[in-house]
Amino acid sequence: MKYLQHQFQALLDHWQDERKEIRSLRKTAFDRFNQLGIPTKKWEEWRFTDFSEFKKNEYRLAWGDDLQEIPKHIPGLIPDTHSIIIINGHYQPQLTKLPAGVSVKSHEEFFQFNRDVYSLNGNKNPFLALNTALMNSGIALVVEPDSIIENPIQVIYLTTALSDQLMNHPRIVLKIRINSQATLIEHYIGETKIPYFVNPVTQVSIDENASLNHIRIQEEDVSCCHTATTNYILKNDARLNTTSFSSGAKLFRHDIKLNFAGDGGEAIFNGLCLTKDHQHHDQHVIVDHQQNFCRSRQLFKYILAEKSSGVFNGKVVVRKNTKQTDADQSNRNLLLSPSAMMNANPQLEILADDVKCSHGSTTGELDDEALFYLQTRGIDSETAKSLLIYGFANEIIERVKPESVQDYIQNRFTDWLS
Amino acid sequence: MLEIKNLCAAVENKEILKGVNLNVKPGEVHAIMGRNGSGKTTLANLIAGKNSYPVTSGEIRYKGNNITDSSPEERALNGIFLSFQYPVVIPGVNTTYFLKEALNAKRRNRGEDEINAADFMRLIKGKLKEVDLDETYLKRSVNDGFSGGEKKRNEILQMLILEPELAVLDETDSGLDIDALKTIAHGINQYRRKDRAIILITHYQRLLKYTVPDYVHVLMDGKIVKSGGKELALELEEKGYSWLE
Repeated sequence: MKYLQHQFQALLDHWQDERKEIRSLRKTAFDRFNQLGIPTKKWEEWRFTDFSEFKKNEYRLAWGDDLQEIPKHIPGLIPDTHSIIIINGHYQPQLTKLPAGVSVKSHEEFFQFNRDVYSLNGNKNPFLALNTALMNSGIALVVEPDSIIENPIQVIYLTTALSDQLMNHPRIVLKIRINSQATLIEHYIGETKIPYFVNPVTQVSIDENASLNHIRIQEEDVSCCHTATTNYILKNDARLNTTSFSSGAKLFRHDIKLNFAGDGGEAIFNGLCLTKDHQHHDQHVIVDHQQNFCRSRQLFKYILAEKSSGVFNGKVVVRKNTKQTDADQSNRNLLLSPSAMMNANPQLEILADDVKCSHGSTTGELDDEALFYLQTRGIDSETAKSLLIYGFANEIIERVKPESVQDYIQNRFTDWLS
Repeated sequence: MLEIKNLCAAVENKEILKGVNLNVKPGEVHAIMGRNGSGKTTLANLIAGKNSYPVTSGEIRYKGNNITDSSPEERALNGIFLSFQYPVVIPGVNTTYFLKEALNAKRRNRGEDEINAADFMRLIKGKLKEVDLDETYLKRSVNDGFSGGEKKRNEILQMLILEPELAVLDETDSGLDIDALKTIAHGINQYRRKDRAIILITHYQRLLKYTVPDYVHVLMDGKIVKSGGKELALELEEKGYSWLE
């Protein structure tokens, strides 16, 4: 994929005055990417996801002049949030409103004291390496110690009005410092029919006794290939609640990894994937219980229509000599068409004795008996089907907080259903 | 009101019903008794319109029309109600929403406006008392986490709200303790009226002490082998079913 080499060189030429440590990090990462290559079906962790179509496209890195003017209407804005708007890879500080206790830093500033956040650490994911090499946008957010941020911070990453096939490699860094509490909405939206590629990496660290509610909404246009990596590190008594809602992109792959790096942490994952037509959504989740007294919960649901397909690969690791791990992983999938396909692979790797772990996965169609039940109450079969699909999704949606975000996702789901 | 003529049904070449005849008039309560596997639930499901049991011959007529091929929702809108032996759990669908949707489907079908929220809550609170359920049930998903007895009471609650003309109650009395049974019987007796008919499907005569039927039929191996008055239930209690074979 020669074009990537050209793009990489163009980036180095463009940002010649970048810190030399960052330039050397980029080079190391690009070498790593070249060694690894684009995943093929022979790679164990990638075997159900086909990148052959993706490989046929060539994308150019987005530059400042790719955004001629700020659109009058910014889609996806959720009421009562502090918004951070990034359009075609370009951060719009004039549209940003942040509360006290939260600061935005450029990667150049943040990198100085937080190099480990950018380190590749032997990671074998080529898209993470590619992002590190080509990071051309994104933001570092720090929530200061002892800060309770009431309203959510919403990062809207909008791709719109393209004239070329563009790519962006956003790096989102979020650090919640000790005793703080915040909600982050990481929101990807596409409004263009031109093929584009978004390859974000999100690095989240939650310090002692801090808490984060992280909502990720992926509603790219179907012309998009969206490959994402999210890494969480939780220190002592840190709490994380996540919701991942995805309905966009032709090809969506998300690698989520969580490390309990301190005792007493809690992580809750809720996921809802909606696919139709020829969409493919693949989520790989690793929850690594490295410390004691940590609790994790996962509920990932997929609703697959038409000829779409999904992959869920979840792994809970409980390390040797850890105490009182409590982990549950659940994956449930609803197939709305005989041509839809799901590959589910929930795994447990338990190396300690003092654990409470469970996992399960089910894939099925709409329940005939439930349909009959609703019909015998006078509800016509189409409405009954919608009601059952709605009920299936609602188990995830009703858990979303705050209500403004829940309403947003509810509305997107209703649109998807109709 | 309901006429079933020589109804035969089969699943995968296995005959389940082998010519059932039944005639139910407004105001009547019919009990259909029989052992497990005699075809009782199949008959109830066929009256309600389940299409997974193909009718091989015979017909079902309701209010003078042949409804053998009608959809379950058409039958429901025309006044047929089935209380399920095993009410289905519908996760994620709120009970209030479900009840309101069902009631409004009926009202729309009659050309009436949808019920407003305040009237609906007033109606539902009154009916909840009849079946001894508290308001917290309304906030839960349909039948989700309900005990066996709560599920059955929820069926009767739906019957009281939807006010069907023909109610088919499939083993609504099984798995209940005596207090719950009395509550169910109370609900059924509240519903009983001159212009409404009830088919009670059961294999115990216990419920029939509280809701006295006009007719009792014995279903055995897909056929009604004996019909009589309420005293037939007592006879069955005493002698079992084997004398009818």
